[in-house]
Amino acid sequence: MEAPRTEPLGDSAVTIMFGTERSPELLKRVHSAAASLLAASIADVKDVVPAYLSVAVFYDSLQKSYGEIAPTLLAIARRTALPAARMQASRAHDIPVVYDGPDLDLVASALGLTTEEVVARHLAGHYSVDLIGFVPGFAYLSGLDPALHLPRRTQPRPRVPAGSVAIAGAQTGVYPLDTPGGWHIIGRTDAVMFDPVRDPPALLRAGDTARFALTR
Amino acid sequence: MISVTRAPSYLTVQDLGREHSRAFGVPRAGAMDRFALQALNTIVGNATDAAVLEWALGGGTLKLETDCVFALGGARARAALSGDDVPPFTTIYASAGDELTIEQLTAGRFLYIALAGGIDVPVILGSRATYLPGRFGGYAGRLIARGDSIQTGDRPTMIPARGFVCPAELLPNYGSSVVRVTRGTHADMFSDAAWRAFTGAEFIVSQAADRTGYKLQGNVLPHSMGSLPSDVGCQGAIQVPGEGTPIVLMADAPTVGGYPKIAVVAEADLPILSQRSPGEVVRFELITIEQSQRALRRRASDLNTIRSAGAASA
Repeated sequence: MEAPRTEPLGDSAVTIMFGTERSPELLKRVHSAAASLLAASIADVKDVVPAYLSVAVFYDSLQKSYGEIAPTLLAIARRTALPAARMQASRAHDIPVVYDGPDLDLVASALGLTTEEVVARHLAGHYSVDLIGFVPGFAYLSGLDPALHLPRRTQPRPRVPAGSVAIAGAQTGVYPLDTPGGWHIIGRTDAVMFDPVRDPPALLRAGDTARFALTR
Repeated sequence: MISVTRAPSYLTVQDLGREHSRAFGVPRAGAMDRFALQALNTIVGNATDAAVLEWALGGGTLKLETDCVFALGGARARAALSGDDVPPFTTIYASAGDELTIEQLTAGRFLYIALAGGIDVPVILGSRATYLPGRFGGYAGRLIARGDSIQTGDRPTMIPARGFVCPAELLPNYGSSVVRVTRGTHADMFSDAAWRAFTGAEFIVSQAADRTGYKLQGNVLPHSMGSLPSDVGCQGAIQVPGEGTPIVLMADAPTVGGYPKIAVVAEADLPILSQRSPGEVVRFELITIEQSQRALRRRASDLNTIRSAGAASA
């Protein structure tokens, strides 16, 4: 296990790096370190943002220099980024889906499955929120059945409607807003994935788990 | 209250943006030229982070329905208040019924108009900034258009005197093409040749330059990293996709991305880059994080100097 190290990300952020290769274990360290950094309520820290290999901490650089804040952050990261560390505030979600996406038939034939099999395998998955990004509230969910892995569409759509449930590569996700997108749309949900006036605004957070369920 | 009688193609409400919601995938947004926003707020007596108008792409006319105090600056523009020229970074007292007309911008990209009291729109996720891709914040999450009415907040208690001018030496050198940078997250992964290509030549701001990012033309910065596991970016981070063309992330850039980051623009110089128009050149100069943070503190102290001078004039 590599020791975490820090790098400046411009004048007002620090990137704490935990390793160079993606793995579920490394991601757990990242998420637990992010939770600890947030819980520590460090003075002058504005934002704590986990990614795949690192956590970025945004701070008020008029109050503290990089040299002043980096050791504090690193000490917390070293202490808490243990594989056994508890996953704070990890929540489980059930997302209701209607499987009637425009790409469902195409996905099934590309994978050599029936549409029923695609739906069954997507429903059977236990998913983890690896990363939030791309657009507000967009969760990259890992844990997709390998039989459903398919490269993204060659022609991205200029507009994917909010609520579209989609797959691409080894991941699945839900489009929170109407945006351009290149994933295969297999269904839709009426769950509100992002609402800027809700607290918290995003339904899913990095480190949460999720399952899909048929809308009744 | 202000009525928009003729709107430019781009007009939004911006402040310093959202600093606490990146983990939800929400970019900071906020003003492209954060120094201009803060200096203009200071010139009209506002807190430095009050909401202002960000104006680009053409001319327009605002009708001031009530007496008000305003200042404009950032990009250069021909501006007139009921026929009289409006100089930049100057405290202007206007009367109810006055019309502020801005012709096309003559240099720079983003003009800011600060009004005493700030622009009054709802605070969403800690900010009044417009985030157009998410359709929230600012004026109902959209561009301000002809026929819209803009409200301002309560006037501040101390407003600099009529005609107060921000000393020019306290403003960023918008005419300079030199932009200082610090080493980025993946700086070590670029070869010496790529670094020479990056710091040894001028780049041109391409047509693909908006609030999300500025794509540059010039030397290619080859690397063999392809795309990496996504990590967190920030305004000013310079990412290099596989084909080697650098892109500077701007205010509305997604919170995370998978391209290697060679460098990050010093916040003190970000206003200079933000105000560069397509076709204009920039040259990057590498400095240390200590130098960069010192330059940023210098800008903060300049803002304090402007505030003191304004208070002394009142």
